[in-house]
Amino acid sequence: MSSDVAGSPLAPVVPDQPRSGDRTPPTPSSSEAPPRRRGAAAAWAGLKRFIRTEKLGAVSLALITVFVVMAVFAPLLAPYDPLQQFRRNLTEAPSGTFWLGTDDLGRDVLSRLIYGARSSMIVSVVTTVVSLVLGTLIGVTSGFLGKRKDMVIQRLMDAIQSVPPLVLLLFLAVVLTPSMSSTIIALTIVITPSFNRVARAETMRIREETYIEAARATGSSSLRTMVKHVLPNMAAPMMTMASLLFAGVIIAESALSFLGIGTPPPTPSWGGMLSSGARYVELAPWMIIAPGLILSVAVFAFNLLGDALRDFFDPRLQR
Amino acid sequence: MIRYVLGRLVYGLVVLALVTVFVFVAITFIPSDAVDVMLADTGATEEQAAAMRSELGLDRPVWEQLGSFLGNAVQGDFGRSFYTDEPVVDLFLDRIPITLQLGGLALVIGTVLGLVLGIIAAVRRGTATDGAVRVTAVTFLSVPNFVLGLLILTALGLWFAWSPPFVYRGPTEDFVSWAQHMAIPAIALGTASMAGITRMTRSSLLENLGSQYIRTVRAKGAGERLVLFKHAMRNSVIAVLTLIGVDLATVLGGTVILEQMFSLPGTGQLVYQAVLDRDYPVVIACTIFYAGLFIVTMIIIDLLYAFIDPRIRAAREAGR
Repeated sequence: MSSDVAGSPLAPVVPDQPRSGDRTPPTPSSSEAPPRRRGAAAAWAGLKRFIRTEKLGAVSLALITVFVVMAVFAPLLAPYDPLQQFRRNLTEAPSGTFWLGTDDLGRDVLSRLIYGARSSMIVSVVTTVVSLVLGTLIGVTSGFLGKRKDMVIQRLMDAIQSVPPLVLLLFLAVVLTPSMSSTIIALTIVITPSFNRVARAETMRIREETYIEAARATGSSSLRTMVKHVLPNMAAPMMTMASLLFAGVIIAESALSFLGIGTPPPTPSWGGMLSSGARYVELAPWMIIAPGLILSVAVFAFNLLGDALRDFFDPRLQR
Repeated sequence: MIRYVLGRLVYGLVVLALVTVFVFVAITFIPSDAVDVMLADTGATEEQAAAMRSELGLDRPVWEQLGSFLGNAVQGDFGRSFYTDEPVVDLFLDRIPITLQLGGLALVIGTVLGLVLGIIAAVRRGTATDGAVRVTAVTFLSVPNFVLGLLILTALGLWFAWSPPFVYRGPTEDFVSWAQHMAIPAIALGTASMAGITRMTRSSLLENLGSQYIRTVRAKGAGERLVLFKHAMRNSVIAVLTLIGVDLATVLGGTVILEQMFSLPGTGQLVYQAVLDRDYPVVIACTIFYAGLFIVTMIIIDLLYAFIDPRIRAAREAGR
């Protein structure tokens, strides 16, 4: 628990120092965080240092916390049932009863907004985590195999990336029946190549490092080298990438729902709300402004976090 | 250099072939096939459905379908729409000018504004102007293009009771109407690129301005303007060009949703409508066309690198 282990969680992993018996398992929320082997205390210390040095990063974390709370506690926070139709209050302007007004079917916009955070966060979290794992696996393996196999794998990834993301999503919408899991599968296919690209580039870089040579020389197997040395050392760029791609996934999810091929109605989603609002631009602008703003703020928070992580991990900017 | 270009073209074709394979493998996962969807409301018998399947070649294994698709594709035949029976190539070529206009305008708006703002921020670094530009950039990076489009529409509708035209007229036919129609979607689509390019220009310029060679240029007594535009910018342009390449995919994808919103009859609308109608030949061919468009543009950008940077040119000529 001493502060000397709190150094950058991304410095090359030093052999495990035996610490007094209070080694707690890592928190599940930080599963992609690097200091798996150093316990929750070190992760906590890293987080504190991040908040201290990256002011904007702290702001983004606060915003993200708000979204997570909205998603998790939606039933407690929402003033009404998001599906309940108040037939006498169609497209009503914001008021004391309906803080953000009602939509064309008389549903409370605020409640739908809060529940919409749920669809958005579930899709984005699952997609990002699955793609991160898959992309890392593919990238590291490809980088390690090298030569012809690497070539084949990377050309396949190029092929997926050469179709503009939204066009690929449209194509996949034809293949898959619309549902939340289909959206997740489609988005995973679209963003895994980006993770692969970073993971592969990092693998190529790390392979040449002296500590890898040392590990090899001491008889460490390929798998062991990968898990113990390569993966922890690419955690910084992967986390930054995850944050930026998370923002992209939020946009893509809402774009799909906006086009009517994402989260199927009547489940509230920000994109779906925007698409029904698009028909009442002048009559009920609050139907667009509220989900438009919240969607932008969510994307903003993750972009900001990505920027802050990049600065935080950049050795040239060490303060 | 010619060998390099040929190499890039071959590589592009390989990737495009892989896209085609990916597409055909993916469609085998379709839960209910196209014929079922088409005949759902017509009350057709199972025999009629089977006849239709064999007519469309859907009863053959996917490798055979892929083979005949590739065979026909080489001859310029990418299949016909299930519904209108028109060749997909014609459908696509009819609509592509509108999409290219929209995407091109968006990229031009984004690049010009991004370069200007980025240069201003870099020259005035640390000032309030710099801060304002950076905040603007992060903000616009975060507003999805279709949200921005909707918000602009809402604002114009509420405050000026104005909305863009519904029927598309080409720029030669009615330029004012065309400009009114294109302006909002192009701006909505271009702002995200603008934000990215602003940030990239700023950081890359700052890095270059602090480097040794700029100190040398200053030492020989060159004016600030010369330092900035002749020396520092030249190195930053490469970084910006890379970013434009990355943005290209986003912009091409973005046209789909904005064409829909602003009723612009481009290829985006074609694909979207085909997806809703489950018009598989159109969806399949358009997906491949979009990939082709992207690959060609990436090759052009790649060649531009060599055009701009003599070091890259030299390396390529020596390498191949």
